[in-house]
Amino acid sequence: MKIEKPGLTLYGLCIVMALLASAALLLGVAVSSILLLLLIYAALAYSINFITGMMGYVDFGHVLFMAIGSYALATLVSYYGANPLLGVGLGALLGLVFALGIGLVILRFRGVYFAIATVVLVLAAYNIVLQFPQLGAGGEIIFNLTFQPLATYFTIWTIVLIEIVLTYYVNRSRIGFGIRAIKNEEDAASSVGVSPRTLKLTGYMLGGLFGGAAGAVYAWSISGVTAGPAFDFTFSLLMLAMIIIGGVGTSIGPLLGAVVVYIPSYFLLTTVAQAQPLMIGLLVIIMALFLPDGIVGLLRRSNQRLRLVLE
Amino acid sequence: MVAAELIVTDLAFGLMLGCVFSVVAHGLNMIWGVVKVVNIAHGEFIMLGAYGAYFLNLFAGLTPLETAPVDAAIGLLVGYAFYYAFLHRELRNKETITLQSEMVTLAATFGLSLFVSNLAIILFTGNPVGVNYNPGTLQFGYVRVPLAALYVAILSVLIIMGTWLFLERTFIGSAIRAYAQDVTATELVGANPAKVASLATALGFAVTMAGGALLTVWIPVGINPLMGALYAPISFVIVVLGGPGKMWGSLVGGLTLGVVIDLLQAFTTAQIAYAAAFLILIPVLVFRPEGLLK
Repeated sequence: MKIEKPGLTLYGLCIVMALLASAALLLGVAVSSILLLLLIYAALAYSINFITGMMGYVDFGHVLFMAIGSYALATLVSYYGANPLLGVGLGALLGLVFALGIGLVILRFRGVYFAIATVVLVLAAYNIVLQFPQLGAGGEIIFNLTFQPLATYFTIWTIVLIEIVLTYYVNRSRIGFGIRAIKNEEDAASSVGVSPRTLKLTGYMLGGLFGGAAGAVYAWSISGVTAGPAFDFTFSLLMLAMIIIGGVGTSIGPLLGAVVVYIPSYFLLTTVAQAQPLMIGLLVIIMALFLPDGIVGLLRRSNQRLRLVLE
Repeated sequence: MVAAELIVTDLAFGLMLGCVFSVVAHGLNMIWGVVKVVNIAHGEFIMLGAYGAYFLNLFAGLTPLETAPVDAAIGLLVGYAFYYAFLHRELRNKETITLQSEMVTLAATFGLSLFVSNLAIILFTGNPVGVNYNPGTLQFGYVRVPLAALYVAILSVLIIMGTWLFLERTFIGSAIRAYAQDVTATELVGANPAKVASLATALGFAVTMAGGALLTVWIPVGINPLMGALYAPISFVIVVLGGPGKMWGSLVGGLTLGVVIDLLQAFTTAQIAYAAAFLILIPVLVFRPEGLLK
């Protein structure tokens, strides 16, 4: 595989990431705890981008992988007193393994059937977790870690950075062309030598891996996991909203979307809690109907130079 | 024979629950079957139907059975508005719905679901409410059946039968069935595809909202803005079980689900029952993607 020279988009994203890192180091704990959630959002957005963004398979149940990661970290830390970083690793691994198992079955379904299968899997998994006392049986698993905001921050920062670089190179690589071919016309793609099965599974497993990792960091940041919120569809929906708003499949879209979804949540939380999802819902409707390629598409069309640069 | 009594009672309740599940899913089935669009916000319109029953009971003293037609009338208007706001742009001038349009409608109705449920929390608050409707019980041998649930079950079957008769026996119904099979051919014989598709969507919404009203009988203190998150997935499973577009499929899927949930609940826990009910979908999609009905 020949790796091309990286374009301006990747440089730009790296500068943003460098700014995020220095902001946490220079401005202290208060700022980093604000930015932490933004990075978790971004990590989730990039993880679902591998599935819904690149392949066009709408995944309403991505929160499943997040929950798997959360539970992996919570169990490891609270029962075995392990290092949370190990928990993040296990979360990523379990996300990958579950994605392999689930993907082998549900990637056979297309379009709405896939979307519906992802919904019911989350509900089934939630009801199954409630059965296990080891997993809190619907209660909370809490663990006491010494307050370590920078460690959490730089873990998720690293995950997002890896996701960005990976997204960028997958999009430019042979795999990326194959995956986009599947998005456009799966049968035609398979008839010209693209293997949809392998490629789809690859994309889905990448989504599971990073979803699990991000979920583990989320549990770490809130020092616990509860079944109800862990399987809450709101997170699934927000992730999906982020990439629809930002621009599906692109390298820069998920970060843009995460910022758009995150900022109102931060400012409106004090007034009406429902204001954020309400606005996001409205924005998603408008984007889906009138701007299917999101903010990135809008920027590309508005300016000839941006069209060449934005990826 | 306590075990036998238990099974028979649970079977009776499972069947009645299945009937109301069927009617709740039936609106989704009609829209999915005819215009080939899955409304992700389906659960939110069930919720609005249930709130319709609640408010009409609160202010006009109507029972859930009497509110069903009112909800259906509102549903017709909402359905027309929904078609022209969300589907028309994607469906017009197209012979079959493309994967691209499918994604657009999924994303747009998903945004709608987020919008409507959160608007409902702001307007109705998150506190669950309920309709008090209890016309007594009926004794069949050792099975005691609440009349409200029985009326609702009968009405549910009648609604499904009504839509079937409408599609099979009327002129407009034939046009809708033709549209479901071949849009271009429908246009060739002089039907306006947009009119046919919008009518089918509106009917689907009418049934959905009426179903929401009937459902309130089963959830005496469970009407809340987020109830759609449970009833939408249940509806998806039912429609897939029955096969989209098959009017009696809703009943087959609904009864299967109702009985599975009620019987499993009797012998295991509610969580296992619901997990199993949702997981049925996967083997059905793998082995019989066209649904249980031939």
